[in-house]
Amino acid sequence: MATVFMKWLETSPTAYDRGIQLLTLGRIQRIKERIANAYVHAGMRVLEIGCGTGTLTAMMAARGAEVTGIDASPSMLAEAERKVAQEGLEDHVTLKYMDAVLIGERFPPASFDLIVSTLVFSELSPYEQRYILEACKTLLAPNGRLLIADEVIPTGALRRLFYYVVRLPLALLTWLLTRTSATALRDFESLLEQTGFQARAVASHLGGSLVLYDILPAEIARAEANLPPTVIGRLQHRVTFRTLLLDLWLLFFRIIPPYPKVRTGLYMIGNPTPESPVLVTGNFDLTVRRVVKAIDGKVNVWLLVADSAGINVWCAAGGGYFSAEKVIAAVKSSRLEEVVRHHALILPQLCANGVDGWRIRKEIHWGVHWGPAKARDIPAYLDANRKKTDAMRWVRFPLKDRLEMVTVTLGFYGLLILLPVFIFWRPMFWPITFSIVGLSYFYAIVHPWLPGRDGLYKSIPLSLIALAGLLVYTTVWNPLPAVDLFHWMVILTGLSVFTGAELQGMSPLMRGEQANWGWEAVIGLALVALYWLVPLALGWR
Amino acid sequence: MSMQPTLLSSLKEHLTLAKELRHLEIHFYPEKCKGVWQCYEVCPVGCWTPNYEARVAIFHDPEKCIACGACVLQCPQDAIELK
Repeated sequence: MATVFMKWLETSPTAYDRGIQLLTLGRIQRIKERIANAYVHAGMRVLEIGCGTGTLTAMMAARGAEVTGIDASPSMLAEAERKVAQEGLEDHVTLKYMDAVLIGERFPPASFDLIVSTLVFSELSPYEQRYILEACKTLLAPNGRLLIADEVIPTGALRRLFYYVVRLPLALLTWLLTRTSATALRDFESLLEQTGFQARAVASHLGGSLVLYDILPAEIARAEANLPPTVIGRLQHRVTFRTLLLDLWLLFFRIIPPYPKVRTGLYMIGNPTPESPVLVTGNFDLTVRRVVKAIDGKVNVWLLVADSAGINVWCAAGGGYFSAEKVIAAVKSSRLEEVVRHHALILPQLCANGVDGWRIRKEIHWGVHWGPAKARDIPAYLDANRKKTDAMRWVRFPLKDRLEMVTVTLGFYGLLILLPVFIFWRPMFWPITFSIVGLSYFYAIVHPWLPGRDGLYKSIPLSLIALAGLLVYTTVWNPLPAVDLFHWMVILTGLSVFTGAELQGMSPLMRGEQANWGWEAVIGLALVALYWLVPLALGWR
Repeated sequence: MSMQPTLLSSLKEHLTLAKELRHLEIHFYPEKCKGVWQCYEVCPVGCWTPNYEARVAIFHDPEKCIACGACVLQCPQDAIELK
């Protein structure tokens, strides 16, 4: 059940379109029309970085341009493909799955007359922005042009005040309606200047917060020395009010997007030297903080945070959000080769289900080592010269993890079940709350001793125990009338099945919870039917 | 024709996934194995053990397998399939 709701909560391609329209109050469409009408001519070779659902791609192809659209989201690309096919423009459009950072490596120099990008740069870290801009310079043919439309934080106190007053409620509303969110660029014009471009804002909407830049390579190329030196931040293990609040939120509502993210890029932990090992991880805030906590003060390493869409590495790799493409992009944009004197990456073992190690080895010639499954084993793994013991390799599901994951499940499903109960079935609120919380924690504790490896299977003994408890209650403390007793038997069985099946997705140790989904639904419906029909049939009142 | 994933379409997708996932099994072709041990390196549940003398991996405890696909993806010889 968890993944069904997560899927629904996730931004979908069409919801994204609507969300962006709403977030920009329709202005983004005007900008796209302007790009297509004023800058695109027949026969032009156009690269669209982050084509998303293909709105602009199709508009430019319709004007006769040869458009190459790249995007790092397979679902967005699928929607773009559909849109392009619908308008019969397949012959003029090439769509590719590609991380924006890698355009410089994947296309030959001077191969585009126009490069466009809308609402992509604001999603990237400053290093990625810089890397892509430099690539754009080589990819543009003579007289080529770069067009970037994005959200920016306006300059000037009044405009900025207006921006925050209008934007924050709008952003919240947009997220609630479409689960789409966006960030804004800071100081983009100076970055353009530093990378050797001349930019002109040719359209400005929403109080200067949505801007279209018309960008040309600077006539006199500035020396590379003008670029500010790359500053690599240091991550330290700290407990602050913010981390405590975040931990509390993540304990109950971890599976509700948008997920807290860490800026992608290279970081120091301790005082690493050019010989120190490089660890790679995803950009989920909790993941990064747990890795830092495990390492800080013990070993000196470089930590390369790659984009995993703010999801833990196991789920992100399994769901296609964390891939070799993302790791390669992080290695390139962070200029890791200029920082360290070796070519070895240590990847979390638990991303091996989606990050193709051989692609990284073959494409950028970096060695890939599979680190331990759990962050806490990293210091021992490094001390032993990257030797992994079986204990570091095999995932366990100890009590502490089980209690944590049960709480994570309860935070979300508790609400999902208890809120309707609270509204429509008030007298049952406390008994059901007590049952679901009690059953969940009881299950977490006895989990390893219940027979079977499958959550649904384990829920059979769980419901038997619950029913035994009910029997003791009714005989010893409070004899229930037959109809109530029957109803409680059904409720407890249902909650047990739900609890057993839901914890399935909470550890890599068990097959994905989807495996049980069908049965969970069938049993649920059967129980609801029993709940109503049996008392009716037997004439209980 | 709309692609909007509703609760219903998400449900359908997961029911299909559920059916597939239940029946996925590892098929190992030892004659292709060159003993690179990537499967052993990445398996989170311990289904693989290296046989160092024969330079071949051994697949055991199939009932432990969670069908995550890590060994399949990391095998350079395409000696493992999940189907």
